[in-house]
Amino acid sequence: MTDQTPLVRIEGVSKHFGDTVALDDLTLDIARGEFVTFLGPSGCGKSTTLRILGGFERPTTGRVILDGQDVTTQPPEKRQVNMVFQDYALFPHMTVGQNISFGLELKGMDKASIKRRSDEIMSFLELDAFGDRYPAQLSGGQRQRVALARALAPDPALLLLDEPLGALDAKLRGQVQQELKSIQRRTNKTFFFVTHDQEEALTMSDRIVVMNKGRVEQDGTPEDLYFHPASRFVAEFIGETNLLSGEMRGHDGDAVVMDWFGQTLRGHAPAGAPPEGAPITASVRLEKLGFHATRPETGNAVQGKVVGKTFLGSRMAVDLMVEEAQGATLRAFVDAETGQTVGADPIWIGWDSDSMAVLRD
Amino acid sequence: MNRGNRILLSCVYWAFVLYVFVPLILMILMGFKDSKFIGFPIKSWTLDWYTGVFADAEILSTLGYSAAIAVLATLISVAVGTWIAVLLEGRKFWGRTAIFGMTVLPALVPGIISAIAFRIYARYLGIEPGMGAIVWAHAVHNVPFVVLVVMARLSTLPKSQLEAARDLGADPIIAFLRITLPYLVPAILGASIFCLLLSFDDFVRSFFLGGYEPTLPVLIFAKLKSGMSPEINAIATVALVLTAAIGIWAERFTRRMNKDTKA
Repeated sequence: MTDQTPLVRIEGVSKHFGDTVALDDLTLDIARGEFVTFLGPSGCGKSTTLRILGGFERPTTGRVILDGQDVTTQPPEKRQVNMVFQDYALFPHMTVGQNISFGLELKGMDKASIKRRSDEIMSFLELDAFGDRYPAQLSGGQRQRVALARALAPDPALLLLDEPLGALDAKLRGQVQQELKSIQRRTNKTFFFVTHDQEEALTMSDRIVVMNKGRVEQDGTPEDLYFHPASRFVAEFIGETNLLSGEMRGHDGDAVVMDWFGQTLRGHAPAGAPPEGAPITASVRLEKLGFHATRPETGNAVQGKVVGKTFLGSRMAVDLMVEEAQGATLRAFVDAETGQTVGADPIWIGWDSDSMAVLRD
Repeated sequence: MNRGNRILLSCVYWAFVLYVFVPLILMILMGFKDSKFIGFPIKSWTLDWYTGVFADAEILSTLGYSAAIAVLATLISVAVGTWIAVLLEGRKFWGRTAIFGMTVLPALVPGIISAIAFRIYARYLGIEPGMGAIVWAHAVHNVPFVVLVVMARLSTLPKSQLEAARDLGADPIIAFLRITLPYLVPAILGASIFCLLLSFDDFVRSFFLGGYEPTLPVLIFAKLKSGMSPEINAIATVALVLTAAIGIWAERFTRRMNKDTKA
C-alpha cells in the first residue's frame, strides 16, 4: 500500500531578502517518489525554495510540512532531508569512506551498521574502489557520485540536488542524467532537483515546475510544458518555438479562434482564454509544422515561401515567409529529405489546432 | 627585461645575500676559534666552546626556560587568536572593526613601549616579574599574528562545507570541531611555529618583565656586557640552528598540508 499524503507540502511560502522578493507566496505539494525539477533562470526563486526545504533559509511567511510534520523552523541537522551541493562540498580532509560515513555516525549508528550501510551505498554507486581515496584524487564525475552517495547514505525522506551537473563536461552530463534518473527509480526516493538547464529538466523529471521572478509559471509533466506551455515565458524557456502575435476572435467548440495578420487560426488555451479582441500570442513547436502540396483539409494552414534552410544532420530547419500574413516568418523542423526537396515554389504549411497553445503574457 | 638589467638585478641579489649571510657566517666561524678573543686571524680551531655550552648548567636551564615560555605563550595565543578569528571572519556585527583593530594593535606597538606598558600594568595588578609576566606579554604580542593567519585560511573555507555538515546531522559545535578545525590545522600549525620563534627570540619584553632568571636572549645580553667571547658565538649558533630547523620544517609541512587539503 502506498501512502497517498504528499511528502512535502509548501504552504504560502514567501522569502524576502531586504527589499527583494525571492519567493512570492509559493504553494505546492510534492508526492512520494516523485522526481520534481524546479526550472528557471537565475534569481527565479528555485534555489531559495531548495534552501528553505534544506533548512538553510527560514521563510518570511508560510509553512513547510515534511511527512506530516511542520519543519518550518527546524534546523538542517534535524531534518530527514539531505542535499547534493552544487560544488559537492566533499570534506577534503576525509576519505571517500569517511565522507559517506559522516552522516551515519551523526545518526548515532553503531560501527558495524555504519560499515554495512556505507559499503552498500558505495557498491550501489560503484565507488567500492575509491573508499580510501581523498576527494582531491578523484575526477569530477567521481566526486559527483561521492556527493550523491554521502547524501543518500542516511536514507533521507527527500533528496535535494542543487544543479549537481553544472560542473561536468557536456558528454559526461548526458550520461549522468541517465544515471541519476535510474538511481531515483531504483531507490524510489523523492528527488527535488534544481536547474536552469531545460534539457536536463526534460530528460529526468516526472514533473517540472517552471519558476520566474519568485512565482510558479507552470507546473506539469515535461510533455505538458513542452507541447502545452501556458505562458510566453515557458514557451520561450523550454525548447524552440514559433510565436504568433495576433488578436483573440472567439471560440469554436473547444478551440480558440485567433486572427494572425488576416489569417484565421485555431488553437487551444491551457491557461484560459483571454477576452475577445485582446492581443494574444500563440506558440507552435517547430516540429509540429508540416508541408503539403495542396491545402490540408483539417487544421490550420497558410501558404509560405522557403527563405532559408539550416541542415542539422537528422533534420533540417526551414525558414518560411508567409506573404498573406504581412510577411511574417515561421520556422519548421522537417526530416532532411523533405527539407531538400522543398524549393522556391510556395508550399502549404499546416498544423493541428491541438498543437498551438494560446499563451498568457 | 634586457641582458644588462638582468645582470644588474642578479648582482643586487647576490649583494643582498652576502649582506644577510656574511655576519651569520662570521659569527658561526668565531665559535670555532681556539682563543678567547673574537677576530681574525683564526690560528687554530676547537669545539671546546660548544662542549662548554652543552656542559654549562646555567645555559641549558636558560634554554629550557626560554622554551617553556615560548610553548606556554604559543598555546595561549593560538587558543585566543583562533577563537577571535572564528568570531570575526565572515560575520558582520556592530563593533567588529573595533575588535579587529584592538586585536591587531599589539603587533604594531613598538616593543619597548609595550614592554614598559606591561611592566607598569603588571605592577599595578600585582603580578610579580617572572615567567608568568613574560608569558602574558608574549601571548598578547603573538595573538595578532595568529588571528591574521587563521582568518586568511578561514576565508577560503567554502560556506557549503559547513552547510553540508549541518545537512548531514551535525549541530554547529560538531560542525566546527569536525570540519572547521581540521581545515584550520595548517594555519594553526604555521601560526604556532611563528609564535614559538617570536617568543623564543624576544628580548625587550623578557628583559622588562623578567625576574632573576634570564631567558636566553637576556642571558646572551648579560654575557655580552662582560665582554665578547666565542662562547657567545657558540650559544647563538646553537639557537640559530634550532630555530632555522624548526622554521624550515614548519614551512615545508604547512605547504604540503595546504596542498593536500585543498577544498
